[in-house]
Amino acid sequence: MDLGFWPLAIAIGLPFVAAAGMPRLYPLVGERIGYLGAAVAAVSFGLLGTQIGTEGSVSRPWIPSLDVAVRLHADGLALLFALLASGIGILIFAYATSYMHGKPDLGRFYMALLAFMGSVLGVALAADLLLLFLFWELTSVCSFVLIGYHTEDAESQYSARMAMVITVGGGLCLLVGILFVAIAAETAGIGAFDLAAILERNDAVRVALEETGLFTPALVLLVIAAAAKSAQVPLYFWLPRAMVAPTPVSAFLHSATMVKVGVYALGRVRPLFHGTEWTSLVATLGIATMAVGALLAVLARDIKELLAYSTASHLGLMVAAFGFRSRYGAEAGVFHLLNHALFKAALFLVAGVIAHEAGTRHIDELGGLRHDLPVTAVITALATLSMAGIPPFSGFYSKEILFEAAWETAQTGGGVAWLYPAAAVFASVFTVLYSLRFLWLFFGDRPDGLGSIHRAPGALVVPPAVLAGALLLVSVRPSAVIDLIVNDAARATAVGVVDIHAGIPRHVSGPVVMSVITVSAGFACFPFYTEIRGILEGVSTATARVHPTTVYRSTLGTVDRTSRLVGSRVQNGLIRTYVWWLLLSACALTAAGYASTAVGIPAPAMAETPVAVVLVLSVAVVAAIAVASAESHVTGVLTLGILGFMIAIFYILGSGADLALTQLVVETLLLLIFLLVLEEIPEFYGELKRGRALRDAALSVVVGTTAFVSVLLAAPERGADPTPTAVFYVTNAVPEGGGANVVNVILTDFRAFDTLGESIVVIIAALSVLVLLTMRDRGETQ
Amino acid sequence: MTTVIMRTTARVVVPIILVVAISLFLQGHNLPGGGFIGGVLTVVAFTLVYVSYNLDYLEIGVLDRDVDPSRAIGEHRTVATYRRLFMFGLGVIVASGLAGPVFGEAFLSQAFVVIHLPLFGAVELASALLFDVGIFCVVVGGLLTIFSVVGAE
Repeated sequence: MDLGFWPLAIAIGLPFVAAAGMPRLYPLVGERIGYLGAAVAAVSFGLLGTQIGTEGSVSRPWIPSLDVAVRLHADGLALLFALLASGIGILIFAYATSYMHGKPDLGRFYMALLAFMGSVLGVALAADLLLLFLFWELTSVCSFVLIGYHTEDAESQYSARMAMVITVGGGLCLLVGILFVAIAAETAGIGAFDLAAILERNDAVRVALEETGLFTPALVLLVIAAAAKSAQVPLYFWLPRAMVAPTPVSAFLHSATMVKVGVYALGRVRPLFHGTEWTSLVATLGIATMAVGALLAVLARDIKELLAYSTASHLGLMVAAFGFRSRYGAEAGVFHLLNHALFKAALFLVAGVIAHEAGTRHIDELGGLRHDLPVTAVITALATLSMAGIPPFSGFYSKEILFEAAWETAQTGGGVAWLYPAAAVFASVFTVLYSLRFLWLFFGDRPDGLGSIHRAPGALVVPPAVLAGALLLVSVRPSAVIDLIVNDAARATAVGVVDIHAGIPRHVSGPVVMSVITVSAGFACFPFYTEIRGILEGVSTATARVHPTTVYRSTLGTVDRTSRLVGSRVQNGLIRTYVWWLLLSACALTAAGYASTAVGIPAPAMAETPVAVVLVLSVAVVAAIAVASAESHVTGVLTLGILGFMIAIFYILGSGADLALTQLVVETLLLLIFLLVLEEIPEFYGELKRGRALRDAALSVVVGTTAFVSVLLAAPERGADPTPTAVFYVTNAVPEGGGANVVNVILTDFRAFDTLGESIVVIIAALSVLVLLTMRDRGETQ
Repeated sequence: MTTVIMRTTARVVVPIILVVAISLFLQGHNLPGGGFIGGVLTVVAFTLVYVSYNLDYLEIGVLDRDVDPSRAIGEHRTVATYRRLFMFGLGVIVASGLAGPVFGEAFLSQAFVVIHLPLFGAVELASALLFDVGIFCVVVGGLLTIFSVVGAE
């Protein structure tokens, strides 16, 4: 079956359309509107399902002049990710309809959730770099709205802002990285933003990247973007804080889909960047996150916090897998993408059930839940054992492939590269520990403080049960799922041939020993969980000064203080301060422009200036000095008038009749305005402070110098030919514009857009004056 | 400022300024002048009236209408007229600009025709003049709004 444009476009577009209608529909339909979201997700899921097995790109033009198009690309990886997002979306909407019962603002909630789903599908299927960036940022914005669901809650606001700062900051890195890649693609003769074409001819683009010296910058920027989005070290701290969002949001955005966008992007660009630099950067980052995340998860006291750190750790696993060069890397990354989405979404939904029924999320207050929530206990057992990587559950297979990738890298790299498998085992031991701890909520003893627990309603149990069923399928028949889509997906990101084998290993090898150590050490340490947590707490307290959260807070605090300081200096409510800074910045920017283009300053031709001009300008200079030394407003205004009229005469001498007219008219008007307000202002100037006078004098020298240099640079040399623009204006004024006055034809015809802009400036000025005075009359003053 | 000398001078000078302003505006396409210069000169004439008389002189003395002094300046009838004037000017500019796309040209592109009238001989009709009318209205309306409001303080 061929790949169609419309199935993909509708799958992406429908959630957005539904999102737009949500606020209107919610008052009509009520809380059951969540099922509409589930239906939309199901339609997208179905449409994408029909495309399994197809591969290729389709496009519709968008901005042809920039070579930007709505390009969509489907292959195994894109479809796997899109199917995960829409499939889990169905369950999340169904779950949320029951979970969010009686909560306020559900129209906005479902709107953001639907828009988010559309954006993730967009990220998965986009084959245009700018389109990808657009959807990428949209997921961040939706995540901001959803984390800040409790708009009145200060913690909610803070967490939403933190997530926004980190992920959108990462998004900006992505934008710059994308532009670097686009530059290289253009050099290589490929459409600048066409991701599919870039990946198809990745060798040519890679050579172009290396030749332009953009390879390392682009790589680093893309990795930062992915790390921010996928909560890698040291940018992981926003993820646990994002848990203030309602549980369906945590399950959907912050475990299964949005945080995987970064991992997915790394998988996408892997064929373009793979190499030594790639491995040392990405694999190290991933392994470090895996270890740090697992340690922090053991430290956690809240079940959602535990799951959040565990998510960071597993994202690290996927990033590390994509970082390894061998085919095992691609296989492990893609396979774990699927497994993690299934078990982590299920666990978050379970956490929601626990919080909903037991009324607490504190780990130490929970225990022995199997009696009250038997079905949930079974689901949890499946999911946690899979998360821990215990054979024969699904997580084991993908983790085993990761071990193989790490082992192989260590064998070929030797020396320091052996740290990869060592760190992977270390992290995995802690993964087993916290997984068992989560499972222990259902076994173990029931704490005395725990009140009565209701049986969970079916609507809350069915979605995680469906996920558990999928997990069971992957665990029992891994080859079926691999053949269906995982193999295709791995091929999209692998450099060579892929051939995934999942099963219980039959003979002893390095990776198998790693797994044995992990599982046995995990089980052996579990009885000492409290002691281990105590040790980790000591380490955490000792290193509190270098925690990313501390750094984030102090950085933000510094920025806050600096901007408040700058604000009080630059924008203190006095017009003269505003003007001072405005002029200074304008001059600085102009000077920077001249400096960056390294223009030489031509020497002024003094000798050839006519006597009349010299005379007029000398009077102007004398008038200028008189303005500066005037004692009263009347003398100041009159001498300023002399200065203006001298300049008008200078224009006449330079045969600029229109300029001279304008100057004269404006000068007259200026004089009249002063007359209008003269009675209102004090007759003499106040005492001048020495410091301010010096400051203003310095500024006037700067402005004067800038203007002088600009005139020297802009004026044509004497006897030089007129520029092509000037020639065009002069020759075309009569035949094209129908006017003999070239200046007027330029104003009304050739550059009429400028004139339109200027008239809008006049109107805005008039309106602002009106608004300011009306506001004052109504008493709206500070 | 409202001395007898000032008032007498203003009475003589203002009509002359207005005539010069209109002629500058009309000849603008072929000789020095144009919408902006004509507009500013018109503003000069009105401002002279404000300086030598007051804001309400035009309404009371020239148009012979009553003025409600208690109203806020933002709702003053003169100011409202000026406000309408610059809105009208902006409308004219945009409309004359949109004529371009209607005839398949770019936005704001201008055209002209030369027609022969019995008495005047060859007369050029340029769409640029319409654009200039818009500029004139915007400048007059916008600047006078500012001056009348500020001057009333």
